[in-house]
Amino acid sequence: MSRPRTQAEYLARLVPPSVAGLNRRSLLAGAAGTGALLGTGLLAGCGDSDSGSGSDAKRVSLGSNQSDPKPKDVLAKVTAGFTTSAGTSVDINTVDHNTFQENINNYLQGKPDDVFTWFAGYRMRFFAAKGLAGDLSDVWGKLDGYSDAFKKASTGDDGKQYFVPASYYPWAVFYRKSVWQQRGYQVPTTLDQFTALGAQMKKDGLTPIAFADKDGWPAMGTFDILNLRINGYQFHIDLMAGKEAWTSDKVKKVFDTWAGLLPLHQPDALGRTWQEAAQSLQQKKSGMYLLGLFVGQQFSGADLEDLDFFTFPEVDSTIGAKALDAPIDGYMMARKPKSKDAATKLLTYLGSKEAADITVKNDPSTLVANTGADTAGYTALQKKAAELVGSATEIAQFLDRDTRPDFASTVIIPALQQFIKDPKDIGGLLTSIENQKKSIFTS
Amino acid sequence: MTTAVPPGRRRPLRPARVVLHLFLGTVAVGWLFPILWAVLTSFRSYEYTAVNGYVSLGGWTVDNYVTAWRTAEFGKHFLNSVYITVPAVLLTLLLASCVAFVIARFSWKLNIALLGLFTAANLLPQQSLLIPLFRMFTEIPLPAWMSDSELLYDSYWGLILVNVAFQCGFCVFVLSNYMKALPHELYEAAMVDGASVWRQYWQVTMPLCRPALAALATLEVTWIYNEFFWATVLMRTGDKFPVTSSLNNLRGEFFTDNNLVSAGSVLVAVPTLVVFFLLQKQFVRGLTLGASKG
Repeated sequence: MSRPRTQAEYLARLVPPSVAGLNRRSLLAGAAGTGALLGTGLLAGCGDSDSGSGSDAKRVSLGSNQSDPKPKDVLAKVTAGFTTSAGTSVDINTVDHNTFQENINNYLQGKPDDVFTWFAGYRMRFFAAKGLAGDLSDVWGKLDGYSDAFKKASTGDDGKQYFVPASYYPWAVFYRKSVWQQRGYQVPTTLDQFTALGAQMKKDGLTPIAFADKDGWPAMGTFDILNLRINGYQFHIDLMAGKEAWTSDKVKKVFDTWAGLLPLHQPDALGRTWQEAAQSLQQKKSGMYLLGLFVGQQFSGADLEDLDFFTFPEVDSTIGAKALDAPIDGYMMARKPKSKDAATKLLTYLGSKEAADITVKNDPSTLVANTGADTAGYTALQKKAAELVGSATEIAQFLDRDTRPDFASTVIIPALQQFIKDPKDIGGLLTSIENQKKSIFTS
Repeated sequence: MTTAVPPGRRRPLRPARVVLHLFLGTVAVGWLFPILWAVLTSFRSYEYTAVNGYVSLGGWTVDNYVTAWRTAEFGKHFLNSVYITVPAVLLTLLLASCVAFVIARFSWKLNIALLGLFTAANLLPQQSLLIPLFRMFTEIPLPAWMSDSELLYDSYWGLILVNVAFQCGFCVFVLSNYMKALPHELYEAAMVDGASVWRQYWQVTMPLCRPALAALATLEVTWIYNEFFWATVLMRTGDKFPVTSSLNNLRGEFFTDNNLVSAGSVLVAVPTLVVFFLLQKQFVRGLTLGASKG
C-alpha cells in the first residue's frame, strides 16, 4: 500500500469502499432493495393491526370538535354520565372546531377515534358512502324520541343510519321586540309585506336588514332560505348534490329576488363579520337579521330577553314557508372502532334522553335533538325555536353542509361575495358556478 | 450655540439622504405597525372595542392573557413544542454538519450532486408531499412505548423526523460553505498529528463552526417552533398539538374574539423573540464571520 502524496489522495483513502465505489446503477439498485425491504416490513406491519380489537372494552375514545369552553364542559359532563352508568371511561380528544373540520379527510383515513363529532346531511353521507363511517342501524333500534325529519337527516345513501343527532339550531329572521313595539311593526308573512316593512324601516332611519359576509358563509343562509322558499326543498337538495343546473331559470329567479332585496341590506357587507352585524341589531340600528340561533351569543341579560324571531316569509304560496335551515350536530362511529361494543354503547347513551337532559341543564344556548328530553329549562327563545323546527316539513342543513365541502368553499363563497359586490351580472356568475360545479362534481 | 458643531464635521443635508430616511422610516413603521397593533389590541377588552371600534383608546385589561393561557391550555402546548423543537434542532444540526463536512472536505464523484440534492429539496414546496407522507406515516408502526398512537402518524417522532428532513437541506448548504472557508492548513496539521476523520470532524471542524451552528440554531429554533402545517395534518390528538397549532383553540365555532387571539399570538411569539435576543450576537457574528478572511 503506497503512502498518499497529496491531501486529495489521503482524503480519498478515507472514503469507505462501499461509498467510493458507488455509481448511479448501484445507487438505484440499493434504493430498490431498500424499498423492497421497507415494503415487506410494511406488509408485515399491516397484518397484525387488527389483533388488538375488543381487548380493552373499558375505554372508548371520542374525537370532539367542541372546543368552545361551554360545549366542551357540557360534553365532559355527558360522558361522565356515561362512565357512571356503563362503567366505561371515555377519552375525549378535543381539536378546535375549524381544524377538526378542515382535517376530517385525513382524520378519518388515518386512525380516527372510536366515536367522533360530525354534522348531518351531505357531509355525513359523503363519508358514509366512502366507507369511512360505521353503520349505526343497531343503535337507532334502541333510540327513541327522534322525529322522522331527524332520522332522515341521519340516513346515508344506502338507507342505513350513520349518525346520532345531538343538537341543532334554526336559521330565522331575528329582531328586537322593543323596537318593533315602539314603531308598530308587524311580522311579515309574504315577501311583499317583508319588502314593504323594509321600506318603512328605511324611512324610519333604520337599516332594515343587518348583513355581513366577511367570512363567506353567512350569505349562504340568505341563498338557502330564498331557494327553499322559491324552488322548494327537493330542488334545493338536488341543486346542492350537483344534480340540477345553476344556469336554470329557477336559480336565476333566486338571485333576481335577492338582488331586489339587496338595497334593504346593510351595505358593504364584505368587510363586516356577523358579530358586527349582530351588534347593529343589538344597538337598535338595524331592524332585522337573518342568522342562526347563535346570534344570541352577542346579546346578554335584558337584551337577550328582548330578542325574538320569525321564519323567513313565504315567496310562492304553492311552496309555503315550512322548510328551513336547521343544521344538526351529532356523533358518528369510526369504520373500525377499537371496541365496537363500547362505541355503540356510548353512541346509544349520547342519543338518549339522559344525555339530552344533562345538555339542557348545562347549556342554555343549544337545542337538543331528542324530543323526549326535559325542556323545562329552555328560555322562551329556545322553546319557540324548538317549535319552529318541530313544525318544519323539511330541514336543510345549511349550504356548506348540504354539498361538497370543496364546492362550498372554493366556488360558492367567492361567487356569493362577487354577487354582493356587483349584483348586476347574474347570468355570467351562474355560468361560472355551473362550469366549476361540473369539474368539481366529476372529480 | 451655532459653533457647537464644528465646521466640516457634519455633512450638509442632501435631498437623497432625506428620501432615504423617509423610506427607511416608512418601512420600519410598516413592519412594526401590525405587531404593535396586535399588542395594543391584546390589552383591550372585547366589550370595549365592540362598542367603540378598534380605532379608539380605552378598555384596558390583562384578562385576555389570563383567558388565553387558560382556554388554549398554553402551558401544556408549550411543553409539546419543546418536545418537538429541541430534538429536531439538535438532530438537524448534527446530521447537516456530517453531510456538510463530507461535502466540504472530500472530493469524490457525487460531491456536487449531493449538495445539489440537499439544496434542491429545500426548494420543493412541502405541501406537495402531504399525501404520500401522510400515507407513509399511517403505515409505519411504532412500538407502544414510543407513541400511544402506535404509528408514526400522530407521534412526536414523526413530527421531529419531518422537521429534520425539511430543514437539513438549508443547514447543509450553509454549513458546507462555511466549512469550505476553513483553512486547509488546519487539516494538514491534523493529519500530520494522525487525527482520524471523526476527530477532524468533531474536534477540529465543529468547534470552528460554532458561530455558524449558533446562527443556524437560532434560525432553526424559530422555524421549527413556528412550524404549523405538519403539526396540524400529521397529528390527530388535540392534546399533543404544539403551541402554534393550539392557537386555533382560541377561535370559537361561530364567534372569534380578536382581542383574545391577539393576546394568544403575542404569547406564542414571545419564545422566538427570547431566542433571537439571546443569540443575537452569535447570529450577527455567524453572518459576518465568513466574510473576512484572516
